[in-house]
Amino acid sequence: MSANTYDAIVIGSGISGGWAAKELTEKGLKTIMLERGRNIEHIKDYVNANKDPWEFPHRGGRTQKMIDDYPVLKRDYPLNEVNLDYWASDKDSPYTETKRFDWFRGYHVGGRSLMWGRQSYRWADVDFEANLKDGIAVDWPIRYKDIAPWYSYAEKFAGISGNKDGLAILPDGDFMPPMDMNVVEKDVAKRLKDHYKEARDMIIGRTANITVPHNNRTNCQYRNKCWLGCPFGAYFSTQSATLPAAMATGNLTVRPWSIVTKILYDKDTRKAKGVEVLDAETNQTYEYFAKIVFVNASTINSAWILMNSATDVWEGGLGSSSGELGHNLMDHHLGVGASGRYEGFEDKYYFGRRANGFYIPRFANLGGDKRDFIRGFGYQGGASREGWSRDIAELNVGGAFKDALTEPGSWQVGMGGFGETLPYHENKVTLDKTRKDKWGLPVVAIDAELKDNEKKMRIAMEAEGKAMLEAAGVKDVQTHSTNPFLGRGIHEMGTARMGRDPKTSVLNEWNQVWDAKNVFVTDGSAMTSAACQNPSLTYMALTARAANYAVEALKKNEI
Amino acid sequence: MHRRTAIRNLALIIGGAALLPACMQEKGKATVALKNVDINAEQETLVGDIAETIIPKTNTPGAKDLDLHLFVLKMLDDCYKKEEQQSFMTGMAQFTDAVKKKYNKTFADLPVKQREEMLLGIEADKDPKSTALPKELKTFYGIIKGQTVNGYTNSKYFMTKQVVYELVPGRYNARFPYKQKQSA
Repeated sequence: MSANTYDAIVIGSGISGGWAAKELTEKGLKTIMLERGRNIEHIKDYVNANKDPWEFPHRGGRTQKMIDDYPVLKRDYPLNEVNLDYWASDKDSPYTETKRFDWFRGYHVGGRSLMWGRQSYRWADVDFEANLKDGIAVDWPIRYKDIAPWYSYAEKFAGISGNKDGLAILPDGDFMPPMDMNVVEKDVAKRLKDHYKEARDMIIGRTANITVPHNNRTNCQYRNKCWLGCPFGAYFSTQSATLPAAMATGNLTVRPWSIVTKILYDKDTRKAKGVEVLDAETNQTYEYFAKIVFVNASTINSAWILMNSATDVWEGGLGSSSGELGHNLMDHHLGVGASGRYEGFEDKYYFGRRANGFYIPRFANLGGDKRDFIRGFGYQGGASREGWSRDIAELNVGGAFKDALTEPGSWQVGMGGFGETLPYHENKVTLDKTRKDKWGLPVVAIDAELKDNEKKMRIAMEAEGKAMLEAAGVKDVQTHSTNPFLGRGIHEMGTARMGRDPKTSVLNEWNQVWDAKNVFVTDGSAMTSAACQNPSLTYMALTARAANYAVEALKKNEI
Repeated sequence: MHRRTAIRNLALIIGGAALLPACMQEKGKATVALKNVDINAEQETLVGDIAETIIPKTNTPGAKDLDLHLFVLKMLDDCYKKEEQQSFMTGMAQFTDAVKKKYNKTFADLPVKQREEMLLGIEADKDPKSTALPKELKTFYGIIKGQTVNGYTNSKYFMTKQVVYELVPGRYNARFPYKQKQSA
């Protein structure tokens, strides 16, 4: 066995890559995890995590230099002073936007598991059955019962706090104790339940922040600084959870600065034999070999690797025989919501910075609800007291103004929708061979847009948000509907979808590439539809399930 | 920016009360090193006087004690577009002229009451379509007001002495009782 030979290769170290590494190493496989960017060591490298707000020269804001350096990241909230180092350089790694697509990336060990939003929801049968019932795209090859035990498995290890709300649309999981809603959120939730006669719910967010100590991790300290990296390991990330578990087996090797340029495909065995790596620091090329390859490079980059692989056999790359590789790109569309002022509870506040909010699960097109679009949307939001904003002319400068700055303003309630995007064949990524990145590699071209179904849904998202807040007694309700573009949900999905038929899907029910059975793709690219729930928990469950299958199949010499 | 200068600026802004030895200050030049805008000592004093009018020293520190005017200039230099910086400079000249015209004095020579009156006059001209005051003057004042308040409410002094702040709260109390303070 040569120095570059392992039992398994995992490409990528984010949420799903970390899970693949943990599962495969715990089952005894010598595994190498390849990460294209630098290493970030747990706690030690969270350089800003213990800084106070006044220690940032621009108090967290963005400078003109940052805006010039990050032409894509500047389009939304991720561009900021506090965790700038966690976002990939738009200039080193450009991409072509045939249509606008806001692609926010994390190129380092841990990937976006360091900066993710942590909201963790199970899907329900209505989500897995949706394509079949609507007669669009292809049917999911699995149902809720196939993934339910793996949801439990993922939740128990990751640590998901949440309430068992008993909702059919949002199955309960194996939760840690929930975080609290504040007084106003509780009141709004009750009023909504009454007004909509229990057909709509507002629940505390289910989040991958632990509320009790777990696996040598300290419970959440309510700092709300998660995306700086947590010195307490209180939220799930590769660094806090899967990486230490994988390292503890003694079976894991992590290689940062390793850009996987292709999967090496063996025509005779019709399997992958390894991968080719470009060292991002030295520009040297290496080959690594293994019995199985897990592709977890994130939806668009996983498609990029597959499209670059086995092109002597299939012009469109490994997994392209169906004609679906790179197609069906989805995201959750957002930027639509409502907010207003809540009167009352002036004698109440909250203490601590809760890294969580409320969640309103999908209600559209469920039960008796019928719309002029298919599928639905959920909302995330919160209630808080704003700072000084009372506009009293004579109090706008001077000592009285200064005093007033210490007084909390009125309660505000706000929420934003997350809408399901349908899988459209024509929403796609392709290779743009006319353009190269810093390493001379061809870039991707992204060609995707919202269509009629999403546009109609956005109108409803705005109107329902207003209607619900008003029904809950919220005053001066304002709505917003901005930037109808894909990508900014940072929930890319679908470029190597699972299915039941190799003619119409890239992966089978076990996330195996139909055209190379020892290649498993278990990140967002595997998703056959998008639902409207945050998807990462589903990636975790799919990855653990696929890894279990892969090891069993290896034992039986099936792959 | 040279590393040494950058560190000095950081010390000014982070330290709040850090004092510079007098020998470091060249006559006529601003105390804060800026890359993109050219501010002289007199202009820095004006920004300081305006910030101090917004957040005055009372029985607690004011804008100048907390070097908020230097924070305003740092933000102006790093975080605003070239056009906004130009508007700031034009607006400053317009402001100086407007004070002169109204009171026949410089802002520095005005008593507090008239300084407040001058600023409240700008605050009152809210309508974006209004041409009562030049728009650069409003941009100039708007940047100072916004960043003075930003710098104040995010200062160590304010966060630790005026409101409750803990880096590690360790808990979430969803029903915290709150009693309105009696203003001084």
